[in-house]
Amino acid sequence: MAKLIAQLRFIAGALALAVLVAVAAPTSAPAQVNPTTSAVKEQQLLNALQGGAISGRVSIPDQKSGNLIQPGGRDWRQFHEVTLVWIGAIAILGMVALLAIFYFWRGPVRIEAGRSGRTMLRFNGFERFVHWLTATCFIVLGLTGLNITFGKRLLLPVMGPEAFATWSEYAKLVHNYLSFGFTIGVILMFLMWISVNFPNATDAEWIKRGGGIVGKDHPPASKFNAGQKLLYWLVMLGATAMIVSGYMLMFPFYGGMTLANIELATVFHGVVAMLFVAMILAHIYLGTLGMEGAFEAMGEGTVDVNWAKQHHSLWVEEEMNRGASDPKAMARPAE
Amino acid sequence: MARMKFLCDADRCIECNACVTACKNEHEVPWGINRRRVVTLNDGKPGERSVSMACMHCTDAPCAAVCPTNVFYTTADAIVLHSKDLCIGCGYCFYACPFGAPQYPKVGNFGSRGKMDKCTFCAGGPEADNSKEEYEKYGANRLAEGKLPLCAEMCSTKSLLAGDGDVIAQIYKERVSKRGYGSGAWGWQTAYRENIAI
Amino acid sequence: MLIKRQERQTRRSNLAAAIGNQNGGLDRRSFLRKSGLAAGGLAAVGALPLATVRKAEAAGPAVAGATIRKNICTHCSVGCTVIGEVSNGVWVGQEPGWESPISRGSHCAKGAATRELVHGDRRLRYPMKLVNGQWTRISWEVAINEIGDKMNAIRAKSGAESVYWLGSAKFTNEGSYLFRKFAAYWGTNSCDHQARICHSTTVAGVANTWGYGAMTNSYTDIRNSKTIIFMGSNAAEAHPVSLQHILEGKELNRANVFVIEPRFTRTAAHATEHVRIRSGTDIPVIYGLLHHIFKNGWEDKDFIRQRVYGMDDIRKEAEKWTPEEVERVTGVPEAQMKRVAEKFAKEKPSTLIWCMGATQHTVGTANVRAFCILCLATGNVGAPGTGANIFRGHTNVQGATDLGVDVVTLPLYYGLVEGAWRHWSRVWETDFEWLKSRFDTPQMMNTPGIPSTRWHDATLLAKNDVAQKDNVKAMIVFGHGGNTVTRMPHAAEAINKLDLLVVADPHPTTWAVLGERKENTYLLPVATSYETSGSRTSSNRAIQWGEQIVKPIFESKDDLEIFYLLAKKLGFEDKFFKNIKVNGNLPVAEDVLREINRGGFSTGYCGQSPERLKSHMAHQADFDMKTQRATTGPNKGDYYGLPWPCWGTPAFKHPGTPLLYNTNLSIKEGGGTFRPRFGVEREETLPDGTKRKVSLLADGVYSKDSEIKDGYPEFTLGVLKKLGWDKDLTAEEMAVIQKINPTTPDAVSWAIDLSGGIQRVAIEHGCTPYGNGKARANAFGLPDAIPVHREPIYTPRPELVAKYPTLPDAKQFRVPNIGFTVQKAAVEKGIAKQFPLICTSGRLVEYEGGGEETRSNKWLAELQQDSFIEINPADAAERGIRDGSWCLVYGPEMPSGKVCRVKALVTERVGKGVTWMPFHFAGWFMNVDQRDKYPKGTDPVVLGESVNTITTYGYDPVTGMQEPKATLCQIRAA
Repeated sequence: MAKLIAQLRFIAGALALAVLVAVAAPTSAPAQVNPTTSAVKEQQLLNALQGGAISGRVSIPDQKSGNLIQPGGRDWRQFHEVTLVWIGAIAILGMVALLAIFYFWRGPVRIEAGRSGRTMLRFNGFERFVHWLTATCFIVLGLTGLNITFGKRLLLPVMGPEAFATWSEYAKLVHNYLSFGFTIGVILMFLMWISVNFPNATDAEWIKRGGGIVGKDHPPASKFNAGQKLLYWLVMLGATAMIVSGYMLMFPFYGGMTLANIELATVFHGVVAMLFVAMILAHIYLGTLGMEGAFEAMGEGTVDVNWAKQHHSLWVEEEMNRGASDPKAMARPAE
Repeated sequence: MARMKFLCDADRCIECNACVTACKNEHEVPWGINRRRVVTLNDGKPGERSVSMACMHCTDAPCAAVCPTNVFYTTADAIVLHSKDLCIGCGYCFYACPFGAPQYPKVGNFGSRGKMDKCTFCAGGPEADNSKEEYEKYGANRLAEGKLPLCAEMCSTKSLLAGDGDVIAQIYKERVSKRGYGSGAWGWQTAYRENIAI
Repeated sequence: MLIKRQERQTRRSNLAAAIGNQNGGLDRRSFLRKSGLAAGGLAAVGALPLATVRKAEAAGPAVAGATIRKNICTHCSVGCTVIGEVSNGVWVGQEPGWESPISRGSHCAKGAATRELVHGDRRLRYPMKLVNGQWTRISWEVAINEIGDKMNAIRAKSGAESVYWLGSAKFTNEGSYLFRKFAAYWGTNSCDHQARICHSTTVAGVANTWGYGAMTNSYTDIRNSKTIIFMGSNAAEAHPVSLQHILEGKELNRANVFVIEPRFTRTAAHATEHVRIRSGTDIPVIYGLLHHIFKNGWEDKDFIRQRVYGMDDIRKEAEKWTPEEVERVTGVPEAQMKRVAEKFAKEKPSTLIWCMGATQHTVGTANVRAFCILCLATGNVGAPGTGANIFRGHTNVQGATDLGVDVVTLPLYYGLVEGAWRHWSRVWETDFEWLKSRFDTPQMMNTPGIPSTRWHDATLLAKNDVAQKDNVKAMIVFGHGGNTVTRMPHAAEAINKLDLLVVADPHPTTWAVLGERKENTYLLPVATSYETSGSRTSSNRAIQWGEQIVKPIFESKDDLEIFYLLAKKLGFEDKFFKNIKVNGNLPVAEDVLREINRGGFSTGYCGQSPERLKSHMAHQADFDMKTQRATTGPNKGDYYGLPWPCWGTPAFKHPGTPLLYNTNLSIKEGGGTFRPRFGVEREETLPDGTKRKVSLLADGVYSKDSEIKDGYPEFTLGVLKKLGWDKDLTAEEMAVIQKINPTTPDAVSWAIDLSGGIQRVAIEHGCTPYGNGKARANAFGLPDAIPVHREPIYTPRPELVAKYPTLPDAKQFRVPNIGFTVQKAAVEKGIAKQFPLICTSGRLVEYEGGGEETRSNKWLAELQQDSFIEINPADAAERGIRDGSWCLVYGPEMPSGKVCRVKALVTERVGKGVTWMPFHFAGWFMNVDQRDKYPKGTDPVVLGESVNTITTYGYDPVTGMQEPKATLCQIRAA
């Protein structure tokens, strides 16, 4: 959050400017008004502003052009070219490494009771549509986004400048447009699953028992266990950050946005994106390689009853009870 | 080899905007794109100073560093130029630029930007010198004709200096020592990490 | 990554060699030429040995195959050289005019954007007229025919005086001269131009003080000043390139620069001190300074004794202006006044620069007189670094004034008297009696016309109130905005009442949209100055010849051609162009200038032949910037542009006069003396009733090399005879003199001697042809012989009106001036309470005049996109107005309920209680957007409210100058 500090510095700078102006007034007291010698000096302003922008009046409507010098760009450059690259590299590569280690050490989580042959509906068509809409958008957004940070380092030497520029231009376009799909997906997901994602006592128990990821323990869980709920809320939080900061970047300088706001938005967008990507990598792992019988939940929508009992015992109970009144929701034999 | 720089002597700048329209004239810069602009500090108060600002052609240019597609290049005269063919209009150079130099034509809906445009120190771009393509994309290439940027050449009070950094620094130093005051070489510390010692 | 191309590197290294520090010494000239750096900056510091300076070679064309043409920027009077690169008849590029000893390559925003003017997206393309309220294209032939017929019809019904000729400061000298001549041949003196509303009061005030109504020194001469006062001048925006010389001079001399102004301007930002005064109190400020000067004995006593008449009267008036009273009226504290006074009087040479802030007042002439008196009292006239430096506003406003586009003079200040008319009829070789017959009555020939500020009064007032046969029925407007004259709502009514409106201009202008006309309105597309060739006179009286850069675009025509077509239509083209060759329909500009030379003796416009002027332009590099004198080449010894007076015939080779009244030089080298224009002596009545005669001739002071070592009157043949110098006249000269006045040749003076002989002989003897007199501190004959403070008509300080009232109502220039009545009513009605803010106006660097040209220029228009009003943060806060928001402004004379909608610029540039608006905007009129009323495609890019919708009544009694600088208004948030 170095940037947040920088943001605060901007504010401090503005205050300092106000002080400077206030201080300038007495020197211009009627005794000897001498604009030549009391001229505003660059160094003075830079010192007073502590890295904030030096701004003045311009007659053209583009008011941001009134920023004469904004050394803050330097911090942003440092962030974008160094900090963010490291954050991204560590988060993503680190997650991949972690998952690999986990995979080799723990291996996939098996259905202990073996497949029952009976399946039950876990996610209906709409739920799956929303998930995959969001997921597709996320993957494309992630890749096109990573291109901005890593493309010139990884792809450019391979593709050559012209091809890379063409790819990047389309990538940018796609990134901008798919943001709408992603936004819709996230909103639907929020509405669709919020009711089953409020934390409760079961979750505390689940967490206490480490979710059963390690060892053979299987703490009870409803439709979503505490880990999934955490993912849900992290996705909601992360997506909100991505969407808000993303639209700020897509509509720059609207509604009185300052350059500092936008720089801050890119910081959020970049950092959250890297963490988000890392987190989703873990999610993908658990939904595919990491757990037997998990993928089909989002694939076909149904899961094996034994899988369900193992991971979401309470949910199975709920469904069974509900099944009495709603035959459609009942578990049915696999064909 | 000369190291080209701009220097605006704010004690001479009267915000006449000749630099701005000279630039428009020389390069047929469209409405809404301001390769150069004049900012007035402490407007209306004693100590008011105006400074003409454009791309300063920084040493270790931040725009070049942050560009995701590496469109920037530095000429032998240390002029920072860019290729519009490779630009994707992401706006990052504007975020990094300490001087607000990069400009974007507005294209399409929402905030989508066209290819970045900025001061070229009247040195065109990667195309052949003074070719039609170069003129259309970047404007005139005066340096190739042995001339310096028109903004400085037409400056009403000889406030805006352009040329070999050592020479213009010398001129500025002499001015300051002769007249006894100087508000500083605006932007030099930020752009070139140096100040003119007086 | 992109790879730099190799050849570029090599070329760059050549460039580096060209501008870099080679062989241990810098080739300064070529470096500067290429770099645009301050020649002054370097020369000034003198750190580099001048021995290394090499002469610059003539610069070759920059664009392969392009032709280089030189013209003069039209946007102010500095006279910056515009270099156009023309390829296939298209103006493709603009380059800096390095060789100009005035601009040295520089421009302001307008000059650097002039090329756009000729590209002309928004130019009027062909003649148009209103048919039932619709703009309709017509041919030139139809236009000229219909206009001519309508003029003749008005002439037959209402008389020649009912046609008003409004000309332009953007005419070349040749255009100005022909325009004035045209009015004369038409038969009226109602012929005016922008000088009325800019420096008419200067011309009157200055000429009444020491002879000629023009800038005494020059822009470059200000480099010599040690103390500079700007009063009512914001040169940084109005004359930016002049600041190059002023700022450099200030730096080198460590000069004091005082800006005495109600507003903290861009000029004030570079001053050493800003003195904030209340608008309209210039005279008390000057008396306040003089009070300190006289009290401390800082005046130049020798100078006053030898060269000034009537300073004692000033001394008495100044005594009344105690520091307390000065502070009460102007708001300036004693200490500051004393400081300014001391520096101006003691740190010499000192100069006073003024502009519209001083001239545009009901007391404009008196203001100007006060400034001259301050210069005289401190001995700051007639030497380098001193003087009354009057910055004028257009390329050729000086020239147009000189050439008589004015209601009180014929060309070159020959007055409206029979002798002057006879002089010009001799030059024109037109019968004097025929000229006389053109006027409604013979008396009208010698009656001053109606000033441009009052044309709408002359249209709308009852017929009996206008002292001519009938009201003004037709306006023929050449290159003059409609929004620069005050009281626009009144003018809009008058436009509706006109029988004929002809607008000849590159743009339709405000005239085309202000009224609700349906018929009898013509627009004629006229070429800009860049599309014509001819001479232009800068403020410093230097004349530059501009070449046509490109042919007139679209169907535009040169002014001169239109005059020819109209003269032909009216049937006097043979008489009119008797000595002027006409190519096709286009009169030859060179021939027009030669005719000016033949008659221009009074002002020394006689020596500047087209050949000499063209040679100056071709060899600009030969002239030294600081002295303006050619040090080498074919014009060696000449001052750049042969600043008038340039005595004698061109063959006499007078070098021009860079500084007026400079006794340190011999007349032959450009020296001069004060001009005794008001007699050689005056009878004064002393307090005890006795009378005495006081000489108005200089006392024991004379110009260098003068054979007469004292004051002397103007030269006539009679005077030459008395001195025995008549023998020096050649037989040819004598023959010409005899022919001018066969009965009493002795009465033929230097001003009407068409041979130039009298001038030549006087100058050979070291004497000024016009004599050697005293400047007048007491200008008897003016309404106020010494300057008297008079409150503005709409003053924010009504309590001061009783003590300082405006002059009584009177009839001036054929129309009543009821300023006194208006002022009285304003005080009685408590206008200052309802409209508590001072409203003053001024110029922006991006725009010029009425602004049609510049607001149509997209490069300039982008920089100022809305009309605005500057308001102090305190006043804005009281009214809930935010910076950049819309606000509504209204003035005491606007129709009730009407407002002007402008952007608020909340700034400390203006003090509390003061507002300021630029005067360039038009096209919105009292909150109505008039864009649709322009012919399609000719609407300026930027439209906005004009400040003159708000400005009010008030006219200077001497010149009819309007009062846009001190009136009142009120503002509320939109």
